[in-house]
Amino acid sequence: MKRRLFLASAVSALTGCGPIGSALNQNAGVRRTLESVEGLNHLLIGTRGLAREYGEGDVDRNFRVNGFATPSDARYNALLAENFSTYRLVVDGAVARPQAFNLARLERMARQTQITRHDCVEGWSAIGKWSGVPLGIVLDAVGPRADARYVVFRCMDNDGAGNLYYESLDMHQARHPQTLLALRLNDAPLDADHGAPVRLRVPTQLGYKSAKWIARIEVVGSFATIYGGRGGYWEDEGYEWYAGI
Amino acid sequence: MRIYRYAVLTRASHWVWFVAFFVLVGSGLQIFNASPNLDASDKSNPARRVLAIGSPAEGVGTTTLFGHAFVTTGWLGWTGDGMGSHGAHAFGATITIPGYQDLASGRRWHLFFAWIAAVCWLAWLVSSAVKGNLREMILRPSDLPKLWPMQAYYLKLRKTPPPHGIYNPLQKAAYTAVLFVIAPFVVLTGLALSPGIDAIANPLTIVLGGRQFARLWHFAGMLLLIGFFAVHVFQVLTQGVVNQMRSMITGWYETP
Repeated sequence: MKRRLFLASAVSALTGCGPIGSALNQNAGVRRTLESVEGLNHLLIGTRGLAREYGEGDVDRNFRVNGFATPSDARYNALLAENFSTYRLVVDGAVARPQAFNLARLERMARQTQITRHDCVEGWSAIGKWSGVPLGIVLDAVGPRADARYVVFRCMDNDGAGNLYYESLDMHQARHPQTLLALRLNDAPLDADHGAPVRLRVPTQLGYKSAKWIARIEVVGSFATIYGGRGGYWEDEGYEWYAGI
Repeated sequence: MRIYRYAVLTRASHWVWFVAFFVLVGSGLQIFNASPNLDASDKSNPARRVLAIGSPAEGVGTTTLFGHAFVTTGWLGWTGDGMGSHGAHAFGATITIPGYQDLASGRRWHLFFAWIAAVCWLAWLVSSAVKGNLREMILRPSDLPKLWPMQAYYLKLRKTPPPHGIYNPLQKAAYTAVLFVIAPFVVLTGLALSPGIDAIANPLTIVLGGRQFARLWHFAGMLLLIGFFAVHVFQVLTQGVVNQMRSMITGWYETP
């Protein structure tokens, strides 16, 4: 009997990683422990260095759509139908001069083109040519106050269950020279699938940090009270807030 | 004669790695499932696809290696979901961690146990180096001529093993390869996958052939570790399993 029990547990140990892992995965203490290394990874890797820049020949002309395709959001589709002529990018929160930028103004502020690789958390990679306004320039225009620590991006999309898509970066990542508010992909204005009219590009972190369809940028001291409190739609689903690894 | 063969940190490291190995493979396959292709390139490139596991139709799983497709229904591509039915997952729910499809959790398990395995390796290395145990374990040029006689002994082509210390020359070769070549390789190829690391250590990713190539190397490293594990377990089972298990638990080994 004992022997049979031993054999049974040995067999289930060899083929049962999944089921055992599934059970442990639901445990709050286990999850907290697993999540404890995120801070360490952030501390050690952080926002250092520059993402590699590529040449024109490396660009994927049919850049793969990450995350969701065109939003179903009614307000978004109304803006899309009128080619974003009344679109305003609201930048507010803990700033000295809250402002709303129209597309013409953002176009005039555009001064960076980067050919960088988009690394999806799923594992695939694609290279795109992105043009737009470095986020740091927009932040300079609104003047973050001393208590500003994070930049939260609210997007014109939801998951159908009422959860708005949003993201956040810390000030250091927001002011990284390659963190870009992209207006164009591969020499054409962004299309709806790729985040029109304004999306984020954060080439030093995984793709889900590069939020699409941005309506509002809010500078905050903490994101703990926003939606799930973990700093982003995917973060609320369990993904790391620090996505450099 | 009983000899004290394994220091406590060696035994502790052995079992920590044993657990970490299972978790890292299981969670790694969960991560792989999110994009079940391996390309020998920097960005994703179907023209340089080495391995693709997929489900071209309901109820069919295929594995395509260097362009040659094999039907692997039930094993790869179309697999059990752990809840009684089957679906289009490259690796099945019995071997991925967690069992059900959950990339976010797979990443959490993987990155946590990567730290456990790496910190354990460092602690083991420092302690073994300080105690001078590494000398007994690392393969030296003088061991090379003894490799074949040892293999011949295992194949029963020779009555006695060649003279050796605590570890025989084949053990030295295997442990040196795993601990000082394959394990560091797996760590480096894993790090090279990360955009944050790529930004800091650009040459690392470039030397490996790019991000997707690093993913391919990382997977290949896992296969090598699984190969080592299989041979290792076979040896333990055939070379006196009770004595072997006891020595890795209590430290005491009975010499033949």
